[in-house]
Amino acid sequence: MKILTCPMNGPRNIDEFQSFGPVRAEPDPDRTADADWSRHLFRAENRKGIVVEWWRHVPSNYFFLAERDLVTNEVLRTFDASERWAHP
Amino acid sequence: MAPSSVFPFMAGGAAHGTKLPVGAVTLHDLTATPRFGLKGGGSAAWLTAHGVSLPAINRIGSHHGMRILRLGNEDILLLAEGAGDALADLKAAWTKDTGPKAYSSWREEGWAWMRLSGRHVPQAMERLCALDLRAGAFGVDAIAQTRVGHIEAVTFRSQEGFDVLFDVTASAYFARATAAAAMDCIDLPIDMEGHI
Repeated sequence: MKILTCPMNGPRNIDEFQSFGPVRAEPDPDRTADADWSRHLFRAENRKGIVVEWWRHVPSNYFFLAERDLVTNEVLRTFDASERWAHP
Repeated sequence: MAPSSVFPFMAGGAAHGTKLPVGAVTLHDLTATPRFGLKGGGSAAWLTAHGVSLPAINRIGSHHGMRILRLGNEDILLLAEGAGDALADLKAAWTKDTGPKAYSSWREEGWAWMRLSGRHVPQAMERLCALDLRAGAFGVDAIAQTRVGHIEAVTFRSQEGFDVLFDVTASAYFARATAAAAMDCIDLPIDMEGHI
């Protein structure tokens, strides 16, 4: 069984979580070149390294962030979104 | 004790007439018992302004005989057992309030409320829930938001055993899952009327 640690609820079976994908940049469509906007909409990154992802603990409907190593699949840490944005 | 039935939310519905297990593991359906949930920005502020002292997240507090369950920063549930008047007063004040007051999470309609009791409840809960719910690890004021019987649920201790809140549409399933867990862990007779 894989265990993921929810910042609010503690360590839980990975089965209790839903992944919402990486946190992405939010370019302003009015100030972004068409090529860059197209890339933002339709292309997904496929790099090695550490990614910050949105996850949801389903029973409590709590969304949080996790840092995950894309090579080893190790979750380095999980944390509340308020740590990344003062006013998420 | 004769088995009681699942709260009859809809006559003729799939859960209608489903019997609850009775015996070393007994299930009581408290779905008809008053409760009131607030959710969204302003929930905590509104309740605090009305004199409710809020516990930490995933902890249980009390106010005028009600139990206050803090399910999230802005997700709070009030349970009234024998404190129906206090809850009705608070709910009436919330309904009348025209200022910012978050929104009702409709826990009184959306969630079923079941109580497990009986001397073999700890063994049954071991089979229903993967968390360590032993007394040393899970205190009387603790809340676990997790899976119980494979469905999303909120569970906490009651004097008799454990209370479980979950989607009301899973009531009949939960009754059967609890009965199956009870049958699995003990060889004492469990009334299975209506389950097989």
